[in-house]
Amino acid sequence: MLEALWEGLLLVLQWKAFGFMLLGIGLGFWVGLLPGLGGATTLALMLPFIYTMQPVEAFAFLLGMHAVVATTGDITSVLFGLPGEATSAATVVDGYAMTKKGEAGRALGAALASSLVGAIVGAVALAAAIPVVRPLVLTFGSPELFMLAIVGLAFIASLSGEGARGMVRGFIAAGLGLLLATVGQDPQAGVARFTFDTLYLWQGLDLVPVLVGIFAIPEIIDLFVRGNSIAGNAPPGKVAKGAWEGVKDTYRHFWLTIRCSLIGTFIGIMPGLGGSVAQWMAYGHAAQSAKTPEERKQFGQGDVRGVLGPGAANNSKEGGSLIPTVAFGVPGSTSMAILLGGFLLLGLVPGPDMLTKHVAVTYSMVWTIVIANVITVAVCFLFLDRLASITEVKGHRLIPVILVLVFIGSYTSNSHYADLLVTLVFGGVGYLMVRAGWARAPFVLGLVLGKIAENYLYISTARYEAAWLARPVVMVLIAVAIAVVVYPFFQTRWRKRHG
Amino acid sequence: MAKKATLALAIGIMLAAAYAVFAAKGWQWKAALFPLAIGIPLFFLAAIEVAWAFAAKEAAEEPVPNSALPWAWMIGFLALIVLLGFPIAVAVFVFVYLKVQGKEGWLFSIVLTAAVWGAFYGLFDMMLHLPFPAGWLLEWLGLAA
Repeated sequence: MLEALWEGLLLVLQWKAFGFMLLGIGLGFWVGLLPGLGGATTLALMLPFIYTMQPVEAFAFLLGMHAVVATTGDITSVLFGLPGEATSAATVVDGYAMTKKGEAGRALGAALASSLVGAIVGAVALAAAIPVVRPLVLTFGSPELFMLAIVGLAFIASLSGEGARGMVRGFIAAGLGLLLATVGQDPQAGVARFTFDTLYLWQGLDLVPVLVGIFAIPEIIDLFVRGNSIAGNAPPGKVAKGAWEGVKDTYRHFWLTIRCSLIGTFIGIMPGLGGSVAQWMAYGHAAQSAKTPEERKQFGQGDVRGVLGPGAANNSKEGGSLIPTVAFGVPGSTSMAILLGGFLLLGLVPGPDMLTKHVAVTYSMVWTIVIANVITVAVCFLFLDRLASITEVKGHRLIPVILVLVFIGSYTSNSHYADLLVTLVFGGVGYLMVRAGWARAPFVLGLVLGKIAENYLYISTARYEAAWLARPVVMVLIAVAIAVVVYPFFQTRWRKRHG
Repeated sequence: MAKKATLALAIGIMLAAAYAVFAAKGWQWKAALFPLAIGIPLFFLAAIEVAWAFAAKEAAEEPVPNSALPWAWMIGFLALIVLLGFPIAVAVFVFVYLKVQGKEGWLFSIVLTAAVWGAFYGLFDMMLHLPFPAGWLLEWLGLAA
């Protein structure tokens, strides 16, 4: 194994492969920064260019590009409250709150350092897990994957507010997200649900316009009415400093970063759950790591742990989702499905061959993920202080630029004017949620998980009827979901009793 | 405002859930299963929140700044995009916003508008060839390229 690992490194460091990787990193850097230009779309656009490449060069190019999209996507989320990628939305919650407190540098440092840790954990998992992952993936059928989605929702909903009322609001927001995920043509019976006779809604609500609306619009309104810069009245000079403080935060909460990286890897391995889920699960876990209700209240107000968790999970999921793609030819996400197309274009068949005959190519992918992230984080750190200084620019100079990004980002998801309307409508919903003090995270996770959960619920019920509820892993996951919901009440009671 | 916003959200969600359940009743069970499984509990949870919001006595709140103006700018930008198409709307919106709302000087407004438009056109139109149709007004006047 060590020999193959070494061979994989040498393959990536060949000048041609390394050059293609740098080109991919350059592209991925900008794709991540610009909202609306998704990593999956760019992978698809670049696929025709790999025809003439060798497998190692092609994967260095494609994976180099894909591996850094999530890392730089966090930068836009932290600086402008505008998710650069659908997979960077969770970073907005605490990252942008830190920016408004004048801690943009610290938030960016934490996001980048945790991204690097996450990428390394994901790559190590990819290297180590290939021989042993088969039984794990086979243990999780549709009932288990459905319950995993429910556990994720329970996590976020129960942690998104204080007391019973906060929890009810969390579940309402999650329920609204799940309900809106059913808009569009139903995959089982072909019924057009809640489409109001419009063709646009047949394919359902696209995630990008909804996310951009629900997160960016309320922040733009806030910036407008405050009339100053994003960093507000933070002391001059404080904003740009603190990147190293963010790095130190990563090591202060090292085990949390590692745990969130492992959550990301695990979600990545599970086919069909996708990267947008991993970040919220990690956010939920980070929030649950708070020891007291007072500490938990800091989440959403600019707690650095709310940046570290999603940052780590976002990047570790890449290594995780490569595992089923490489080992079984089962892609864990849209991007991996496109990458699978790349395998086939190059004449490689995912499966046992990738673990024997082409094992050096497989390990070159591991190295590409690690090296691409190290280079990106190093380059970002060179410009971090300047990037953070953007938050000191007057609001009225930034707003038109951000609004152009918001509308173009939304429009490019379907090239339909209705995307812009969806952005404004959900901007209104997001504005009301901010004003009412409701958390937006459960809503987004509900929307992300809705289609997946419905599909797994249908397959489970159609295949096993009610007997799926008695499967051992399902029962464990039901117990975990109940524990997650009741834990905050027990915690509060225990603290009251013990002073 | 927090109470009003909560009521607006909770009542809106209650109505949406009621409509979802009502609409789902007419579908095959395959299509209706999930909307019913979500819609029914969601309706009751939202009703609980509405009752909670009416019953709770909330502390005096800070006055909320008027958000009508930023909404007007955003809706105006959307209207410009639909009527004139992205390439013209981006330039017009950025310039007018900087001059009217930002009260910036002519030089700064022109330079920033040119920079934003150049980045938009160079990246999305020239490099990525994304389709940006001419606006409805230009099409109606027969000026669309």
